Amino acid sequence: MPNIDRRDFIKLVGAGGVGVGAGVVLRESIKHPKEHLIPHVLAPEDYSSGVATWYNSVCSMCSAGCGISVRTREGRAKKIEGNPSHAVNQGGLCAVGQAGLQVLYNPDRLTGPLLQSANRGSDGFTQITWEDGLTRVASRLDVLRAAGRGNRIALLTRGVGGHLAELLESFAEGVGTDQLHHYDYDHPHALYAANERFFGKQHLPYYDLSNTRHLLSFGADYLAGWLSPVHHSLGFANSRHGGDNRGYFVQIEPRMSPSGAAADEWVPAKPGTEGILALGLAHHIVASGHYEGEDINEWKDVLSAYTLEKVAEETDVSESVLRRLAESFANASPSLAIGGDGAGNNSNGVDTLVAINALNYLAGNVGEVGGVIFNPDPAGATSHSRQANYQTLAQLAESARAGEIDVLILNDVNPVFTMPLASEFKAALAQIPFIVSLSSFIDETSALADVILPSHTYLESWGDAFPEQGVGFSIGAVSQPVIAPLYNTKATGDIVLDLARRIGKPMRWDSTEDCIKDGWNKIYQESDSNTRTESFESFWTALLKAGVWGKKNHLKTDTSRPNANTIASIGVDAPTFSGDAELYPFVLQPYRSGMHDGRAANLPWIQELPDAMTSVVYGSWVEINPKTAKDLGLTEGDLVDIESVEGAVRAPILVYPAIRPDVIAMPIGQGHTNYGRYASNRGANPLEILSPLVDDNSGNVASNATRVKIVATGKHVEIVKTGGKSRDLGRDIVQTTGGDDHTAQTNSIPITVIPT
Amino acid sequence: MNVSIQPALKSLQTAALIAVVAVVGIFVGYFIDFLITDNPEVSAPEQPIAFSHKIHAGDNEIPCQYCHTEARRSPSAGVPSVNKCMGCHNEVATESPLIRQVSEYWENKEPIPWVKVHDLPDFVHFTHKRHVQAGIACQTCHGPVETMDKISVHSRNNDGPTLLASTTGEIMNSETSAVAATQNDHWEMGLCLNCHKQHDVVDGKAVRVDDGGFDNGLDCWTCHK
Repeated sequence: MPNIDRRDFIKLVGAGGVGVGAGVVLRESIKHPKEHLIPHVLAPEDYSSGVATWYNSVCSMCSAGCGISVRTREGRAKKIEGNPSHAVNQGGLCAVGQAGLQVLYNPDRLTGPLLQSANRGSDGFTQITWEDGLTRVASRLDVLRAAGRGNRIALLTRGVGGHLAELLESFAEGVGTDQLHHYDYDHPHALYAANERFFGKQHLPYYDLSNTRHLLSFGADYLAGWLSPVHHSLGFANSRHGGDNRGYFVQIEPRMSPSGAAADEWVPAKPGTEGILALGLAHHIVASGHYEGEDINEWKDVLSAYTLEKVAEETDVSESVLRRLAESFANASPSLAIGGDGAGNNSNGVDTLVAINALNYLAGNVGEVGGVIFNPDPAGATSHSRQANYQTLAQLAESARAGEIDVLILNDVNPVFTMPLASEFKAALAQIPFIVSLSSFIDETSALADVILPSHTYLESWGDAFPEQGVGFSIGAVSQPVIAPLYNTKATGDIVLDLARRIGKPMRWDSTEDCIKDGWNKIYQESDSNTRTESFESFWTALLKAGVWGKKNHLKTDTSRPNANTIASIGVDAPTFSGDAELYPFVLQPYRSGMHDGRAANLPWIQELPDAMTSVVYGSWVEINPKTAKDLGLTEGDLVDIESVEGAVRAPILVYPAIRPDVIAMPIGQGHTNYGRYASNRGANPLEILSPLVDDNSGNVASNATRVKIVATGKHVEIVKTGGKSRDLGRDIVQTTGGDDHTAQTNSIPITVIPT
Repeated sequence: MNVSIQPALKSLQTAALIAVVAVVGIFVGYFIDFLITDNPEVSAPEQPIAFSHKIHAGDNEIPCQYCHTEARRSPSAGVPSVNKCMGCHNEVATESPLIRQVSEYWENKEPIPWVKVHDLPDFVHFTHKRHVQAGIACQTCHGPVETMDKISVHSRNNDGPTLLASTTGEIMNSETSAVAATQNDHWEMGLCLNCHKQHDVVDGKAVRVDDGGFDNGLDCWTCHK
């Protein structure tokens, strides 16, 4: 023991003191932190803390109109599921629908009105009040309306159906403009035009996949994007459950889609020749006596040119395959032919879809269960009558360039992203003196706005939907707010109603809810008074609870019989493509992957969702056939420029075996320049380089008709994907053998019979 | 020449001694803190308003679920809204200084920031609904709240089996309803397991089973999920 002098003693006392203090602090610091229990000031009536409340509503991520059930806890939406009672999706819901929560909670959502105080298109947005924002817009509208120049006001909205569509109509009427356009990139203009020409109805019929025994799908990716994918998936599953009577699915498309992968047979016909193929099958059906209608001679005349021999040559599908397809299609009962974007978005798109309608007619599928069933007229408005095709938007751009548009009101629509660069749509918008946007996000189009009045998301607002492709009978559903608005936003309908009041043209509703209720009151009043509920209020309550309303009034009409002129007009020309075939050897097929038309690209769940066919996440890619890749000396990850006459986009190569060697494909949705942190500056947008080649019959751009060339950049990137790592690092993990080798090898193995 | 390392060692020894004293000090300090604060009277946190469960649940015999309405419906028992307090205190004891504090919150439309006393870690899943509906008295876990002016975790009875008020209002013997926790039972896994081992659920009610060993939610994921 050393001698402890006075100084050491003081040191020891100090050390001891610090130690004890540290001990106390240590124990205090590892204790459970203090938490608070914050009660409500006023207890809410509609939920108990800790207990989930479910609200039925409608998904607005695409136009299919699926019913959803949203689970909420303590007034916050937690999970979206399909509404099991809704006839369209019957409890199912696609990935984009599930990701709707990320629209609601997206960190890039606008939280209040903005004013562009610097140059247009810059980040110079500053916060303003609603009063300020609405006054600015209303004063512009009022001046034009009062001067009788309301037609210098244009409204461009995403496809809105139901009673909100009526509200917008009423507003347009109030300000005195007929420039009201709905715009969805994937709106099937060609299909409506073809149905009008062949059936005399500008409607979408119900394609009864569920009960069909033989499906010919011409470029319709019905499982992953076309019209109503969740409903088609249910139908596909039902048809496949048939045991011995199981449905046979044929997919005719140059690039295998998820629907092609799920089919029994994939027929890679030349792009744009789907209609010729359909008429070839029709020719065989008529010529071989499968069709016995009174008008058989007219059909024989019009189809005489489409012999299997000629069709085989034009479509690059062998005569024997065509014969087999025609026979099995005609013999199966019921059978069904559908034509989707792959067939409709060509220079001969409408003719092609008319040919497919004819095929259904000749096989006796029209109006039959398992075939093409006509829906009754929807009980509420659909967006089709106001849907703008390419020509309409080009006309709008032309008016803007000519200085004929003074105010443009945008509602959650992004044509700058989906219109080809060649349309110069963005430059045209710059000529409009005043642009106001009602979007929840700053996207490529909203970025050009002078004032942004952000609207609620669909989970916070009232609306309704009457899915047009339907289920074969009348169906509708109300979209109700499932949570209180998160931010300082307003419902689209309420903004419009407010503007109408400010310009002295008040509409007959007080609020969006009022408008929706008023619409449903009419439906209630028109319903059968013997079976309906006692009062509208009880009907309304029941409607909100069930989330869906339907009327079993399946329609079977014979008005769909084509007349002689219609039959005589049938015929499909060879497709035309923009770009010289020598200079631009490949046909570009932009297709819908998981991101719809690009509107879902700002949702991280969708970004990280592997593409159904390639398993790629977070990015764009160019699919090319292995043979093409070999010829060009390209491998996966080689960065290339895809050049059309109109421009170029850059993306890495992905070698994809299920595509024709003369076709390359790129997914749509990426390549945003201004759509929040998750979407911006990621991948490439193939729509940019499309040629504005229009199918005159539909007025829409033929998006599958642009020829391109591949220019290697010499750079290489790693494609991020979850499956099928292309490198096995020389270990030969997956060994393969050719068909002939396989046969030779198995034949050479001596078969030993084991004596019993 | 003799070179000694003694002078160098001397200062090292002092340094070592100081270090030892400091380390011992840490233990002492930790223990002192334990002695002082592990006392129910001290560990019970100060609440923004000195609410007494003794006056409400004890003297005036207001049932627990009159205020904690969600205990039988929800995983969480629920803290009454300020509105609920004012439901009575618009009329009752309006002049008391504590009640004036409550009315102040109500008039400002502000919630009362109560401090949480009974807390389970986030990795434990517990639901009031199941336990209350099975007839487990609140006091089984929370102790004799009706005797407490100030709520604390540890101040449960330590007298062995006692009469506990059941959630349905009838008086039950702990032998038939639930065991009373003792003072040594902290809110740890043993408290849950002891009870789960000794009880079975018959017709939706918790029933004591003396031979034990029933598979009554003894799986890990009963609580850890």
